[in-house]
Amino acid sequence: MDQDIVLWIVVGTALAFDFTNGFHDTANAVATSISTRALSPRFAVAMAAVLNFVGAFISLEVAATIAKGIVNAELISEPIVFAGLIGAIVWNLATWYWGLPSSSSHALIGGVVGAAFVAEGAAAVYGNGIVDKVIVPALVAPLLAFVAGGLAILVAYRIVGRQRPGPVVRGFRLGQVVSASLLALSHGTNDAQKTMGIIFLALVANGSLSPDADVPIWVVVSAATAIALGTYAGGWRIIRTMGSRIIKMDPAQGFAAQGVGATVIMAASHVGFPLSTTHVISGAIMGTGAAKRVSAVRWGVAGNIVTAWVLTLPASAAVGGLTYALVALLGRDDVGPIAVSAALLVALAVTLGRRLVAGRTLTAEG
Amino acid sequence: MVFAVDGHLLWQVVWVSLVAGVGISALFSLVIVGAARAEDARRAGRGAAAALYFTLAVLAFALFAGGVVLGVRAMIEK
Repeated sequence: MDQDIVLWIVVGTALAFDFTNGFHDTANAVATSISTRALSPRFAVAMAAVLNFVGAFISLEVAATIAKGIVNAELISEPIVFAGLIGAIVWNLATWYWGLPSSSSHALIGGVVGAAFVAEGAAAVYGNGIVDKVIVPALVAPLLAFVAGGLAILVAYRIVGRQRPGPVVRGFRLGQVVSASLLALSHGTNDAQKTMGIIFLALVANGSLSPDADVPIWVVVSAATAIALGTYAGGWRIIRTMGSRIIKMDPAQGFAAQGVGATVIMAASHVGFPLSTTHVISGAIMGTGAAKRVSAVRWGVAGNIVTAWVLTLPASAAVGGLTYALVALLGRDDVGPIAVSAALLVALAVTLGRRLVAGRTLTAEG
Repeated sequence: MVFAVDGHLLWQVVWVSLVAGVGISALFSLVIVGAARAEDARRAGRGAAAALYFTLAVLAFALFAGGVVLGVRAMIEK
């Protein structure tokens, strides 16, 4: 019974992470389309939500590989997964609050690494795995997308250079609908699988499923629904940053950034070297801006984003580690996860309640 | 500490991404140029030029659509 309670807490936390993953990453697919008015904001997030939902069903190769090769999988327990998820959720919420795009996958890896480190010591963490699967891709993705985005917009400007602006603007806006759809679909196929993998692992660890069983349909549907709802909720602060605060983009730049983003992600995924969607799209946006004019990029904003990327792993690891320490202090079997999740739910309710009251006061005063 | 980053794989990611990323933008730009010039030529009564530009637009669009289909296949089969 105790184990069942912890299992359901882990499942609930994984779905909460999935929701934050969705609303945090909405910007990747739709920010440039909204910014160039290729799509209306509401239609863009609705389309992205539907495609994320569909994407979750397209590829059922469960990403049980999250943190595989980075931490010793044999030492991973439900409290470690729970603490890792809390680390990732907190980092996703913090970066959303500051309007900074950052990788949800790296946040999740960081959270699990921190919790595993506190639980089992340095032997549980593979340093070379962090370098190979987090640091190298984090360096490659934005640089590659920056160069590809820059080259793509130069080629596009060269080809359409002497055309009347009307058909060019309409054409690239139409192209953005296709590239945004591809990005949203790709996000669903990648990111919903992470949550499915975590829930699947928790069910296996709990003894509810055998390791070679198929993923239960309720896991697929709940993960797809959580990421779609999160996407529909829309992380508007990050959408604003990616859509208009890095560069002021025209439809050609928007299409080039999204087109390059989608192709880089798919090409890298196809050859077995998955890259962060957030890093790729952000790099491509900066590349399309810098190719037009270096000063067109607001380098201060770009610097803040890169700082967030550098901090993602250590910050989420710190929160994951602290959460695990708290869970272990209160009781690893059931009391710890129940007490921590209850405290977080109360904190969430208080925050939402304050916002509601502040909103009512403003309305009454207005 | 042994790092397992495969240099060959990394190089493959770089060139495939550059070719595909730049290629897809170039193809779609050709669709726009072909369609716009075909319309201009048709209005000016230059039938042959209109047909030529229309063919360019259709060919570029077919290649672009092929790229999109390849992308979706890569997503499904990964």
